[in-house]
Amino acid sequence: MGGRMAQLAMVMEELKPAVVFHVGPIPITTTVVTTWIVMALLVVIAWVTTRKMELKPRGWQHLPEMAVEFILGFLESFLGKNGRKYLPLVATLFILILTLNLSWLIPGSKPPTMDLSTTLAFAVVTILAVQILSIYEVGVRRYVHTFTSHGLALLPLNIIEELVKVVSLSLRLYGNMFGEETVVTILFILVPLVVPACIQLLGILFGFIQAFIFTLLTISYLTTRTEAH
Amino acid sequence: MDGLAVIGIGAGLAIGLAAMGSGLGQGNAAGHALEGMARQPEASNEIRTTLLLALAFMEALTLFSFVIAILLWTKIG
Repeated sequence: MGGRMAQLAMVMEELKPAVVFHVGPIPITTTVVTTWIVMALLVVIAWVTTRKMELKPRGWQHLPEMAVEFILGFLESFLGKNGRKYLPLVATLFILILTLNLSWLIPGSKPPTMDLSTTLAFAVVTILAVQILSIYEVGVRRYVHTFTSHGLALLPLNIIEELVKVVSLSLRLYGNMFGEETVVTILFILVPLVVPACIQLLGILFGFIQAFIFTLLTISYLTTRTEAH
Repeated sequence: MDGLAVIGIGAGLAIGLAAMGSGLGQGNAAGHALEGMARQPEASNEIRTTLLLALAFMEALTLFSFVIAILLWTKIG
C-alpha cells in the first residue's frame, strides 16, 4: 500500500508543469513550450491550407472553412447578423483551445490547458473582452446601467458575478483536462493495458466538448452583455 | 482517528458527494432534453445547445469540489 501511495505522489509531481529553462528570472515551463509548438503548428496549417485560396474550396482549403463556418453558425444563431463582428475573437478561442486540448496526441507533451495559468489567462482575456465589447456596443451609460438597473444595493453582487465568471470559466476547463489526465495516469498504474486507452479515446471527445463549451459560454456572455436591457 | 485520516475521508466525501449531486442533476436535465427531442425532433438542435450549456454549469460544481479534494489530498502526501 505504501509503495502505491509513493507511486501516486510521483505521478502528481509529474503532472505539474516542469521548468524547461529560464529567461532572466522568468521560468519557462513545458506548458509554454507546448503552447508555442501548437501555435507554430496552427500558423503552418493556416498558411498551407489557404495558400492558394479559391472561391470554390478544394482539398485542404475545406479544413479552415469548416471550422470557421461551424463557429459562425453558432454565433449567428445567438446574435443574428450582428454576430459576425465577434467571429475573430470567438473562432480564435475555439480553434486554439481545441488544439491545446488535443495536444497530448503529440508524444511526450501534456495539454497546456491542464495548467491553471493557461486557462486563467483565457478566462481573463475573454471576460475583459466581453466587458470592453459591451461598452463599445451599448455605450458607457447603458453599460453602467446594466449593473445598477435593479437598484444600487445589487451593484456589488453584479460586480462579483462578473468576477466569478472568470473563476468558473477557468476552473471548468482546467478541472476537466486535469481530472481526465489524472484518471488516465492513475489507471496506467493500476491496469497498464487497454483500459487507459479507452479513457483516452473519450479524452478526444472531452477535449472537443470542453473547447466547444468554452466558446459557447463566451458567446452567451457576449449575448447577455451586449444586448440592451 | 488522527488528522490525516480525517483529511482523507474529507477529500473522498467531497468529490463523492459532489459527483452524486451533479450526476443526479445532469441525468435529470439530459433525460428531459431527450424527451423534448423525441417529441419535437425539429427543435433538437436548439435543445442540444441549451442542454450543453446547462450541463456545463452543473459540471462546474463538481469541479469546484474536485479542486478542493485535490487541495486536501496534497496535504496528506
